[in-house]
Amino acid sequence: MRSVTLVRSLGVAALALFVLGAFTPLSTRLYERLVVPARIGPADAIVVMAAGGTLLDGRLSDDSRRRAAYGIDLYREGRAPLLVLSGASGRRSESAARAALAGTCGVPETAILALATGYTTHEEVATLGPLLRARGVRRVLLVTDGSHIRRALRLFEGAGFDVLPAPARAMDAPTKPEERVRMLHETLRESLALVYYAVAGYR
Amino acid sequence: MTPYVTIALTSLVAYLFAVKRLGLRPAALPPALGRLADLVGTGAIFALVNLAAAAGFVLGLRALTGRFLSLYALDDGVWLIVSMLQGWLWRLWRDARPPAA
Repeated sequence: MRSVTLVRSLGVAALALFVLGAFTPLSTRLYERLVVPARIGPADAIVVMAAGGTLLDGRLSDDSRRRAAYGIDLYREGRAPLLVLSGASGRRSESAARAALAGTCGVPETAILALATGYTTHEEVATLGPLLRARGVRRVLLVTDGSHIRRALRLFEGAGFDVLPAPARAMDAPTKPEERVRMLHETLRESLALVYYAVAGYR
Repeated sequence: MTPYVTIALTSLVAYLFAVKRLGLRPAALPPALGRLADLVGTGAIFALVNLAAAAGFVLGLRALTGRFLSLYALDDGVWLIVSMLQGWLWRLWRDARPPAA
């Protein structure tokens, strides 16, 4: 009988979360708590986090291109003298494709550091940290998506860097239930990732 | 909001049809909602167990083989729907069991 009550309570909770997430501002409130506001300023380097590699034909995915384009914009605004383009490891190099994009946008080759940094955010920071420190970088402008920036920021701060968050994409305020559910989904997914990183000791 | 107004209207029509034509009792509606919560709850348990098992599988394979498998592979809406269907079927099957003599 107790298990029946527990199952029913879980069902009520799931239905309530769905209804509140789809039809009230709950999704927006939770998302706002997850994202870190932008703090754009002068830095030693602009670090653009990887975004899942490249497409099968070697082109950058929309997510990867958007982050890279924002990093290039920040470089061209003169925010930092070094543009670090991270990329997932793999047969087709995301970082090389990003470096090519930066080159066509007028960023000098000497100002670009393009690196295949592994597969996860943790691996990226573990790879980039020593390389950036060796170049005397202390303050970084961190470019990634809004929902991902808190996790990346914690890792960089844990590695001893002064971090200025520069989210490349923040979700617009949703106007339809489907968009609210998508925002809630993204928030829950990234919250789970934060919990996983905390449990794994990645800080 | 138009689709949701439509859902409200068809719910009202279905309610009136059920009461007036089919002779269903309004008092039986709250227990039916309880059954719906039971189905959703069972589906949620299956979804959580599937999520934990799949995450363990991915992390285990990473550790055993040294090859990278992404946890983002678990981020799939269809997988959630299949988990819910799995839970609903299990619940309906369990509830169809004849009562003990």
